[in-house]
Amino acid sequence: MSWLLRRLAVSAFTVWAVVTATFVVFNVLPEDPARVIAGPQARPADVARIREQLGLDRPLHVRYGRFFGGLISLRPPADPATDSAVRIGGVGLDLGVSYLRRRPVTELLGKALPPTLLLGVLALIVQVVVGGVAGCLAAARRNGLLDWGTVALTLIGISAPTFLTGLLLQHFFARTLGWFPLDGYGATWGERLHAAALPAATLGLFGAAYYTRLVRDEMLVLLRQDWVRTAWAKGLPRWRVLVRHALRNALMPLVTVVGLELGGLVGGAIVTEKIFRWPGIGSLSVDAIVERDGPVVFGVVLLLASTVVAANFLVDLAYAVLDPRVRRR
Amino acid sequence: MERRALRRFQRNRGAVVGLVIVAGLLAFAAIGPLLAGHDPNTSDFAAARDGLGGPGGPSRAHPLGLDPLFRDLASRLAHGARVSLLVGLVATAVSVSVGAVVGMVSGWAADGRAGFVDSALMRLVDVGLSFPYLLLVMAIGTALGDVTIVTILLVLGLTSWFGTARIVRSKTLQVRSLDFVVASRALGQPSWAVLLRHVLPNVAGPLIVIASASVAQMIIAESVLAYLQVGLPPPTATWGRMLQEGQRYYTVAPRLAVAPGLCIFLGVLGFNLLGEGVRDALDPKET
Repeated sequence: MSWLLRRLAVSAFTVWAVVTATFVVFNVLPEDPARVIAGPQARPADVARIREQLGLDRPLHVRYGRFFGGLISLRPPADPATDSAVRIGGVGLDLGVSYLRRRPVTELLGKALPPTLLLGVLALIVQVVVGGVAGCLAAARRNGLLDWGTVALTLIGISAPTFLTGLLLQHFFARTLGWFPLDGYGATWGERLHAAALPAATLGLFGAAYYTRLVRDEMLVLLRQDWVRTAWAKGLPRWRVLVRHALRNALMPLVTVVGLELGGLVGGAIVTEKIFRWPGIGSLSVDAIVERDGPVVFGVVLLLASTVVAANFLVDLAYAVLDPRVRRR
Repeated sequence: MERRALRRFQRNRGAVVGLVIVAGLLAFAAIGPLLAGHDPNTSDFAAARDGLGGPGGPSRAHPLGLDPLFRDLASRLAHGARVSLLVGLVATAVSVSVGAVVGMVSGWAADGRAGFVDSALMRLVDVGLSFPYLLLVMAIGTALGDVTIVTILLVLGLTSWFGTARIVRSKTLQVRSLDFVVASRALGQPSWAVLLRHVLPNVAGPLIVIASASVAQMIIAESVLAYLQVGLPPPTATWGRMLQEGQRYYTVAPRLAVAPGLCIFLGVLGFNLLGEGVRDALDPKET
């Protein structure tokens, strides 16, 4: 139990530290958000007025206190019309209001999260299916033509940055062949799935390249084990030996990797979202950084850090449940 | 040991291909700007134009043609190679050095009187690994206003050592309990001397492997920053920005996007192949 509490405390500390560091980096560095918002032609008086409106004229510790002080509230809002918090039960989460868009950050995040999750889940499916099948086949035909070809393809996949793969897929399948929309999201779920195909393939194939190697390496070790030789000797069909006797024992590390990737899922798509104009967290965060929209940046960082830390925590927890030795360390 | 590793490396076809690609890129960066014979940022309006009066394609004076601002593409690619390789190599050096020092100090201090140093450093690593890395780099880059190559080097190098530190720490913990290390401590060697003479050579293997894979990551990171227009400002020629600028002219002049894209791909592929070759040569069990 104390292990669990300590682990939770470390997780909370990590999220707090990440958000605080972002806050400091964003506020100490020279460029002034008010100046960016007002535009290059603005009079100094206007810039000063905007600074005051946004509370940027206050000292750093006051702004910091305001951000964290208002983060979680238990009381109902004083004025529902100007409330910028989302409420689940009696607990409100308030990340402030975007400088430029004038909307609560929680609302912007809420709008950007579903597209990102859709993209991420589809990409993960591509990665696991393509990577799993290719890795198993390559391991089964070790040193054969298929294995050699798979390893070469994964190297190419790992070495092609996502913006290169994305642009190529966009060019061939959207511009030349016209099978998929160039970019954008879509109004109905059918349209969204159609539009998600290319960005999901971009992300998924990159992940699949890594995953293929992982599956192959795991399988190569397992296929050398005694029980696998016994299974061959019994005359079991090939697929049965591969799947039931080898792959099954590789599931634990393979699922762990997917679990850890779930944390990076939300933040891993920045470039892909930019190329395909996908209205998710990645696009939101890039725009917010370029526009110096502090509250949105802190909100995104809080969300991303929380998902990474939560995924790590869940994987650790799963190990602790399965293996009591972990708890004693 | 070293000679055997070298022989394994030579027999690895992928590693040799990687070495050739990397050597080719280094040569391109070193003498390419001289061979191209044009300033990368000067427009040559006198050169032959295409049918619509726009910048011309490949000609004798400009082997790869001109970019939309009438600048020599070959010369810009060669200068871009300098940026990519410089960022890749120096940022890796920064990252690996910081990671090695933090990892060794942390591993050495673990469980002793200075155990709090280890805890503090490892919490720092936890935090660093939970950061949305690309966002952090972009935030620092945009906030600094005018980005120079030194900014990019330092930002990339100083935000990417966390994983290295964790690996070096666990390796240090292993080495620390080996007999010859215990003996040299018992003989009264100061900690720094033991770390430098006995621990560092033993963590050097993993460090070399990390470093060669890291160069490829740094090249990608630099080109992503440039592609998202938060890297080096124009008119500096970088592959990422050239790709971003060229993609608009894809239908008219595909070479404008294909050439820098191919350069990025080759650079990353070369260092990845080299890195895997080094890993397999130093650790034959893995293959």
